Amino acid sequence: MATDFWTSTHYKQLLDQEEVDVVHQLDKDRGITLEDFKLIKLHMTNYIARLAQNVKVRQRVVATAVTYMRRAYTRRSMTEYDPRLVAPTCLYLASKAEESTVQARLLVFYIKKLHSDDKYRYEIKDILEMEMKILEALNYYLVVFHPYRALSQLLQDAGMSDATQMTWGLINDSYKMDLILIYPPHSIALACIYVASMLKDKDNTAWFEQLRVDMNMVEKVATEILDFYDNHKTITDEKVNAAMQKLSTRT
Amino acid sequence: MAGAAYGQLNLEESPSWGSRSVDCFEKLEQIGEGTYGQVYMAREIKTGEIVALKKIRMDNEKEGFPITAIREIKILKKLQHENVIKLKEIVTSPGPEVDEHGKSGGHKYKGSIYMVFEYMDHDLTGLADRPGLRFTIPQIKCYMKQLLTGLHYCHVNQVLHRDIKGSNLLIDNEGNLKLADFGLARSYSSDHKGNLTNRVITLWYRPPELLLGATKYGPSVDMWSVGCIFAELLHGKPILTGKNEPEQLNKIFELCGSPDEVNWPGVSRTPWYNKFKPSRQMKRRVREVFRHFDRNALELLEKMLTLDPSQRISAKDALDAEYFWTDPLPCDPKSLPKYESSHEFQTKKKRQQQRQNEEQAKRQKLQHPQQHARLPPVQQPGQAQAHSQVWAGGHNHPMGNSGQAPLAAGGPTHHQFGKPRGPPGGPNRYPPGGNPNPGVGGYYPDRSTGQGGVGFSGGQYPPQARAPSASGPRGSSAGYGVGPPNYSQNVPYGGSGAGGRGPNVAGNRNPPYNWQQQ
Repeated sequence: MATDFWTSTHYKQLLDQEEVDVVHQLDKDRGITLEDFKLIKLHMTNYIARLAQNVKVRQRVVATAVTYMRRAYTRRSMTEYDPRLVAPTCLYLASKAEESTVQARLLVFYIKKLHSDDKYRYEIKDILEMEMKILEALNYYLVVFHPYRALSQLLQDAGMSDATQMTWGLINDSYKMDLILIYPPHSIALACIYVASMLKDKDNTAWFEQLRVDMNMVEKVATEILDFYDNHKTITDEKVNAAMQKLSTRT
Repeated sequence: MAGAAYGQLNLEESPSWGSRSVDCFEKLEQIGEGTYGQVYMAREIKTGEIVALKKIRMDNEKEGFPITAIREIKILKKLQHENVIKLKEIVTSPGPEVDEHGKSGGHKYKGSIYMVFEYMDHDLTGLADRPGLRFTIPQIKCYMKQLLTGLHYCHVNQVLHRDIKGSNLLIDNEGNLKLADFGLARSYSSDHKGNLTNRVITLWYRPPELLLGATKYGPSVDMWSVGCIFAELLHGKPILTGKNEPEQLNKIFELCGSPDEVNWPGVSRTPWYNKFKPSRQMKRRVREVFRHFDRNALELLEKMLTLDPSQRISAKDALDAEYFWTDPLPCDPKSLPKYESSHEFQTKKKRQQQRQNEEQAKRQKLQHPQQHARLPPVQQPGQAQAHSQVWAGGHNHPMGNSGQAPLAAGGPTHHQFGKPRGPPGGPNRYPPGGNPNPGVGGYYPDRSTGQGGVGFSGGQYPPQARAPSASGPRGSSAGYGVGPPNYSQNVPYGGSGAGGRGPNVAGNRNPPYNWQQQ
């Protein structure tokens, strides 16, 4: 939904890192640490992406769904809102909001296909019920702006059209963090271009300078992305499983 | 209040932790009925503020929260403009089902989500239908300007309204006009590749390209509807009143001429062109049919009712039209008169009541004076006064006072928040009056007699004011068969007693209208 980001609710709802990195008391009680919290959100981002591949929706729907999920957990606990239900529900809701509706039935079919684990088993009525709760958690703000939008123009302008694929991938990965809740989407797009330039050994300093944007912010986001990749290597299945284990079994 | 558990949040901009309960509001009366639920007038208990509550029906929960509601919410949260209705918040009804059975139980939100809107006193159709009310030219310009400003804002934000019609244009007592009911609205982009449905926009206001099956279209669809409303305001009644799609298209062609590759390049490639193309050539008759409009109005109308959507005027260009910049200028909304609340469903209801009264009267064979004494509804004195206020840019005057009272009870409605319904109440909404006295115009036709307003000339309003402009002489006598648009309706007892399209200034020049009755 294209309109002016600066007048949007998305912009008004941008948060500080400190606000995003709050583990809900109920979750703390279960021993979930900030690291676990981030791991679970990462894990669920991947889950959403895999489901999306199966039900065949655009990347934009995935991005919106992940944003909903991350936004919801700035306000709700994982204890009360089981991520294994929240993730597919966010995809379901995002598919409607992005005009690529996926039937709940289809989603449930692929949930079962992807996970034999009982903890992931949810039925249509669970998704529909959670949908209402997510809508409420989001306060019905459903419009999300994404960094993809200006990407091809920016790349072309920077003379980096050959790096489209790489930058697109970097943006996809940016949703494994909470960046979309914290920074305006164009800063994330520019940060990804910045990282792509580094990886491609292309000096774009002059180009960035003439943009007249807040380069501090761009560099900060770029650093976070690079840190994430460094850190990502240390993430193992065991760690993820341990974090997931702390979530209660279904009530 | 019961809302305590829910009620602490969702007050302002700040992201909330839950929706308030509908118990924070006291429902006063139902004021509308739409496809996805009822609309109520309600009072917020804490503040006393009057709002409109639009219920989102959840019965069809096969696919959860309705995508139409999602669209509407998404769009309304995005659009912040003085000419677009404001969605204040969304509230839920706790309902008995809440958590009753836990996960396995019923659906928590079954039938109980409400959108809370600012309350508006009128909708344009309801206002226009008020017996005896006629808009002034500055007033029409003022409404049109606001309509176009709001629509331009939507279009700039890449939102198509897709259901522009009088009952979706709300008006408050400050004279502000706001677009409402975005239940059919959609965001679009010019590079949008997907197809859009052509089953949108209430039939009478639906543009030819949709009737011809187009699935790729843009803001121009809304502009056609605006053209229809514009003509309706000036003319005194809806101008293209098909009963079904082929008939609608036919009426359009009769007025705007048959489409061909010259006036509409590409028309022959529209999906249903071959099915619906007129069998004979028809010439454009807009200028002829509406020759009683002033030059600038006609010029603008021509550009709105352009068959080829790509040549149709945009909202932005329409705002630049001479019409809005020549005397009489659009008036200041605040200078407009205030009226007692009226919505389309209410005026309808009122007409029903009148019909009943009328029958009763017939049965009792009452004499006029007595009738007058007994039948308050749309009586002359009140109207006359209201009229002069309209003309004088007057102020608060409750109209049709007594007639209004019974309405407050609410009841089945036909209200702005409602969904479109085909040709709503089509034919009976503006029934041909069959009144043979065109020149009298619709001022105060002597309603008690129901036989042509001859008797009313004694009314406060100087009928001559209109008489000269009444184009009686111009219209062919045949044309009057349909009756002057403005007035058959005002007859609480006599005549059809149905209808109710208030006359307006331009409407007093009764046009020949035979083209429409074919």
